[in-house]
Amino acid sequence: MTNGHPTREEDFDLYVLGALEGDEKQAIESHLAACADCARKLAVARGRVAAISFAAPRVEPSAAVKDSLLRHVRAESQAPSAVPLKVPSDSAKVPAPGTGREFAPPDPPRGLAGRWLFGILAPACVALLIATVMLWRENDRLTKQLAGLGASVDKTQRQLADAQEMLHLYTSKDTIKVLLAPKPGMIKGDGEVMYNEKMGLLMYDGWIAPSPDDKSYQLWVVPMEGKPISAGVFNPATSDTAHWMSKVPEGIAPKMFAITLEPAGGMPQPTGPMVLVGGT
Amino acid sequence: MSKTGADLPATDAALVHKITQRDEAALAALYDRYAGMLSSVLNRILRDTQAAEEILQDIFYQLWCSGSRFDPARGSLPGWLLVIARNRAISRLRRHNPAAGEEILENTVVMPFDLESSAAQQQLLTRVKGALDSLPKEQRAAVELAYFEGMTHSEIAERTGDPLGTVKTRLRSAIETLRRNLQSTMSHNT
Repeated sequence: MTNGHPTREEDFDLYVLGALEGDEKQAIESHLAACADCARKLAVARGRVAAISFAAPRVEPSAAVKDSLLRHVRAESQAPSAVPLKVPSDSAKVPAPGTGREFAPPDPPRGLAGRWLFGILAPACVALLIATVMLWRENDRLTKQLAGLGASVDKTQRQLADAQEMLHLYTSKDTIKVLLAPKPGMIKGDGEVMYNEKMGLLMYDGWIAPSPDDKSYQLWVVPMEGKPISAGVFNPATSDTAHWMSKVPEGIAPKMFAITLEPAGGMPQPTGPMVLVGGT
Repeated sequence: MSKTGADLPATDAALVHKITQRDEAALAALYDRYAGMLSSVLNRILRDTQAAEEILQDIFYQLWCSGSRFDPARGSLPGWLLVIARNRAISRLRRHNPAAGEEILENTVVMPFDLESSAAQQQLLTRVKGALDSLPKEQRAAVELAYFEGMTHSEIAERTGDPLGTVKTRLRSAIETLRRNLQSTMSHNT
């Protein structure tokens, strides 16, 4: 680095990528904190590196995510507004975190009576200050707890939406069940797919040996006509069982379902060997 | 037939402004615009559809709650969302809990690509895939380990069994090539 500036443009990208470590990382971090010009270059590098995201195979989220998000937002909008926790008025004397302003005790009053009064009031002020700081911390803790509870409610709503969809899938007369069996000579495992063409809903349940580090399993709906459609990528790294539900476009008549072994993260179309397969 | 102003899709900046006024339709519009893009990178990093969807929903909920902290004049919304998505997914993958709100502060992400339409996203996808495909296999693998698995130079060396110096040179060369290619994409877009 010259004058602390990174000498090469790609240093910013490597930093954003998270590849730098130790002295290299520390040197660029301490320089960035004080150099507006390099901070601008870093912002451009962030955008450039973020574009690598587009190398990921396209995976659309299930409709349940958007439904759950909007339900949560709507419920929050309709709920009565929360009453902010009040802090004692003396808290005005406590600096807001990060403002750099500090609490300044009053000058001691002059005279004997004043000194007596000061002797009583000074400890009281300190006690009040300590109480204020404690209340502020408690307020902060409760705010964080509230945020955690919000997230928990959100998760429960999502699980409920999933459970409702699963119930529809189980009870619908249009749902078909297909057993997946291993191809000869391939990894051992078996699975079951429940599929509803009208709902565009699929549920997979099965077990299979963990895939290698640089590989993932990918489930495909192979339609009567057209290209296979991805119905989920998984890697049972810690457990050999897998279970999930996913949305696929509605009205796809399936010829078969297959699980293939693909490069980590999955592929837009199958490229690897079929591991489990089942026809309709 | 030419489009009238009312027919034109709202810009990201306009939708973010509406979100600060608690407009649910604006949130839904931004979700439709960027959920697929974010879901793809989350799934690629986590290889877990359920975990990816949880983070996806959290990101948009965070946008709803803290949209006012995003300044469209200072950076790109899709860039900002991608940085948050990657940070969160990598943190989850590596069992690391960042300080709350850490990533929201990194709101300066300059991404001079037009990503407000799916056609523009498709165009960038083609350019990025083309740029990555043009890299030697080992360089591409190093970029993917760093970006999608959040690995440092040493971790990549350990994973691939290559010397640290080789990994550093490999990643630097890859980044240089990608930067050159994407720079030309930027100049085509701007």
